[in-house]
Amino acid sequence: MLLPFRCLLLAFAGIAGLSVAAQAAPPSPPGAIEVRDAAWDAGTAVDLSLFPSADESQDAPLEYVVQMSHEQNGVFREMPATVESRSSNQVVLRVAGLTAGQEHWFRAAAVNEAGERSAWTAAGTSVSPVQQWFDGRKLGFLAILSTVCGSILAFIALARSGARLWIRRITGLDAIDEAVGRATEMGRPCLYIAGVQDLNEIETIAGITVLSRVAEKAAEYDATVVMPTSRSLVMTAARETTQAAYMTAGRPDAYQEDRIYYVTDEQFGFVAHVTGLMQREKPAACFYMGQFYAESLMLGETGNTVGAIQIAGTAQPAQLPFFVAACDYTLIGEEFFAASAYLSGDPDQLGSLKGQDVGKLVVAVLLFVGCGLLTLQNLAPSQTWAQAGADWLANSLLSSG
Amino acid sequence: MPLPAPENLNVILATDCGSTTTKAILIEKVNGHYRQTFRGEAPTTVEEPVADVTVGVVNAATEVGELAGRPLVDEQGQLIRPARDGRGCDIYISTSSAGGGLQMLVTGVVREMTAASAKRAALGAGAIVMDTIASNDKRRPHEQIQRIRELRPDMILMAGGTDGGTVTHVVQTAELIAPARPQPRFGGQYRMPVIFAGNRDAAPHVAEVLKDIVDLSIVENLRPVLEQENLGPARDAIHDLFLEHVMAHAPGYDKLIAWADAPIMPTPGAVGDILQEIARQRGINVVGVDIGGATTDVFSVFESGGQSVFNRTVSANLGMSYSISNVCSEAGFPMILRWVPIEMNERELRNRVKNKMIRPTTIPQTLESLIFEQAVSREALRLAYLQHREFATTLKGVQQQRSVGDTFSQQSGGASVVDNMKLDLLVASGGVLSHAPRMEQTAAMLIDAFEPEGVTELAKDSIFMMPHLGVLAQVHPQAAVEVFERDCLITLGTCIAAAGATRPGRECFRYVVEFGDQRAEGEMPFGDLRLIRLGPEQTARVEITPARGVDVGAGPGKPLVREVRGGTVGLILDARGRPLQLPENREECRIVADRWARALEMYPDLNSL
Repeated sequence: MLLPFRCLLLAFAGIAGLSVAAQAAPPSPPGAIEVRDAAWDAGTAVDLSLFPSADESQDAPLEYVVQMSHEQNGVFREMPATVESRSSNQVVLRVAGLTAGQEHWFRAAAVNEAGERSAWTAAGTSVSPVQQWFDGRKLGFLAILSTVCGSILAFIALARSGARLWIRRITGLDAIDEAVGRATEMGRPCLYIAGVQDLNEIETIAGITVLSRVAEKAAEYDATVVMPTSRSLVMTAARETTQAAYMTAGRPDAYQEDRIYYVTDEQFGFVAHVTGLMQREKPAACFYMGQFYAESLMLGETGNTVGAIQIAGTAQPAQLPFFVAACDYTLIGEEFFAASAYLSGDPDQLGSLKGQDVGKLVVAVLLFVGCGLLTLQNLAPSQTWAQAGADWLANSLLSSG
Repeated sequence: MPLPAPENLNVILATDCGSTTTKAILIEKVNGHYRQTFRGEAPTTVEEPVADVTVGVVNAATEVGELAGRPLVDEQGQLIRPARDGRGCDIYISTSSAGGGLQMLVTGVVREMTAASAKRAALGAGAIVMDTIASNDKRRPHEQIQRIRELRPDMILMAGGTDGGTVTHVVQTAELIAPARPQPRFGGQYRMPVIFAGNRDAAPHVAEVLKDIVDLSIVENLRPVLEQENLGPARDAIHDLFLEHVMAHAPGYDKLIAWADAPIMPTPGAVGDILQEIARQRGINVVGVDIGGATTDVFSVFESGGQSVFNRTVSANLGMSYSISNVCSEAGFPMILRWVPIEMNERELRNRVKNKMIRPTTIPQTLESLIFEQAVSREALRLAYLQHREFATTLKGVQQQRSVGDTFSQQSGGASVVDNMKLDLLVASGGVLSHAPRMEQTAAMLIDAFEPEGVTELAKDSIFMMPHLGVLAQVHPQAAVEVFERDCLITLGTCIAAAGATRPGRECFRYVVEFGDQRAEGEMPFGDLRLIRLGPEQTARVEITPARGVDVGAGPGKPLVREVRGGTVGLILDARGRPLQLPENREECRIVADRWARALEMYPDLNSL
């Protein structure tokens, strides 16, 4: 009995509402418009500052549409505008997508909820946006850049002044001496593999850097380093690096060029040679420093079988578990790239390393804050500031656009 | 003369021939137990005009005999053996460190591997290692030859290469020794004894290079594989050559060797032996220290990888008289001053050091001097222990077994085997520790310098009897251990120390101590020390509940219930955390040091200063 009556009541209320909306008048036009070039941009945006329509209230804010023309009374076309700020006596709209140095005329109108538009209010003056030397939206980016670069420079200066910079112990790099020492005591060679890729890979270059240290130690201990390569360029670079290391150690006479040789570009052809070499020569120390793929486990297991101390270093996440399980020590990604600074103790490299750590710290903090804000926003949707903060981080601070 | 059966040993005479004094002790079977009954000493007579070490031995033995009412030396100046009718002794044993002890040069291929093993073998045998020659010691060959020529060691220990390993490097080392033509310290008439304990494949080549130049003995490789050390044969060879060459050429030692019923051992080697025997019989980890005027010896026996590992180090420049200046230079005056609980500035400290240098044999006559010496001793002991921990490591160059779980925690070889948390017994000897006027001072010096963690028993060697007992352990281990526990050691008490750190004043741990019908309980704020008197024959049940992150031996934050032994000092509760931190400001530091000194009742007359 009660349900039909309720439906009837709702239908009546709906019809009554529609008739009220149909009878509403368009809103009053906005007040005086002032237009000025947006500060710190690429000359593509202007800010329209207008006095709100008389019909606007805090409970029912109005939309504003903006039109632009290149002549005072020319043909206007609608432009997208975003509200920059809004108060009881001023609404600031940002219009983007303009052409730097060209004259632009603007007019604006208020639109109510029903979509009715007021009369146009035109700006009294035109504006020609100017390209600024710095994009103000990238200020956060500048701050981060300054912090990271400033830290690098500051740490380099600090290291040069003789201050001791603490760097976490990297066991794998410390163990190089031990591995070469083992080879010396056992009277067997050290085997060095700088990956299966060419010199254009950063990991191969890092591998050559570590080779310098291994070769220097081998020269000092009077041990032998054997290095088959899978790229001819790597062979050339390795030879020069090793020769320089032997000279640094004061043993240029002990350097033997033919111990570093090219095998083949073929991945598994190369691996077959290396594993065969391991079985025959039984090296006491094996170093795998560079970019590796499927061969990582084959090399690691063969080295383990012949009883060698093995030290691996790669930035390939997929290969790390194999190296960790099969080798005595493994340098993981960043550790591998930090090897040069760690081993040389050069103040410039150490300072740079510490400065980069600051950069990583900044990134970690931003990640943490961003995740926190989004989590908060999801937990309490009413906290719009959390969403706004996350948006600012994503769109302003970290946006590449 | 054959040795009597162990059960027939009733009277034992033992001497230790030091550089300046020959100390004799008499060990007798009393009521079925071996006890040290009398002791005597006489000046060592190895130098001119007497130049016969046995004269000092006879003098010391005569003194002991007179005290005991048992003649030990006959009219001809010979020791009376066997014991009969209240005269003589059953056996006579001796150690010797006269003439600077046994000085050795060691060589190896890689400094951290075979050369380190050779050094361990030499130190363990009681030698002082003068230098270590290795392929990677960063010296050019001519510098190494020059160094070998300059040193005049008693013997050389050569190691290097695993069995089947490098021959080249080992022969290269022999080729350094050959042209250097090293001369022994004593006796220009005989050739330098050289022990080769390296790669067996290299032995014939080494023999070829060194023939007609040195007296070469070849023993088993002390590092047959890198994963294993085999120091026994090398140590035995050192002892044999010590007797055959070094001792035989020192004045009067040929007679002394003939008198002794067991091989004469270098004093530190004997100390090491008794500590190993104690650790083995009681199944504990032990650290012993002997601080002298010029050097400090640290011994440790720790369980590592399922076996007992013995290590000894000699810190040649850390001592309380001749080396005091070096202690100050290595530690720095502020570090020494931090242990001084009275007003004393750096200038005054400096003056005291210089005075001690000028008159190294003086002993403190005032409380200020005593406090000064004990402050220096803490730093000397701390530095010596630091060196020991760095030397007493697991073997380097060993393959590691990994799993994926080790990705972020890869431990390398060469980690120290000395772990203060596992330390059970800390034994002190040497003038500044043994002759401290109060036992509390000895205990405090040990705790401050060694920073034991968890539960550690503290003891001191009453009259530096450990060398005698070390050599006795070779003949009659049970007798040696009995005397060691009953008469040699004076148990100071037990230290329960918390490892970890928190804010000063916050609770470090809570304790309940029950002994007899007494009970003590309370809370230890971080930074505090507390002494609970617990007599030498008493034991107590202790229950410690540490704060979060603090470890007293059962793991961080985990409670500990233990039975502990008392001593002449008692039970010391140490809530100062590890490592020990003292304020940098001098006045604040002095106040803290004063508080700790009062807590342990170290200097009852402190108020009078």
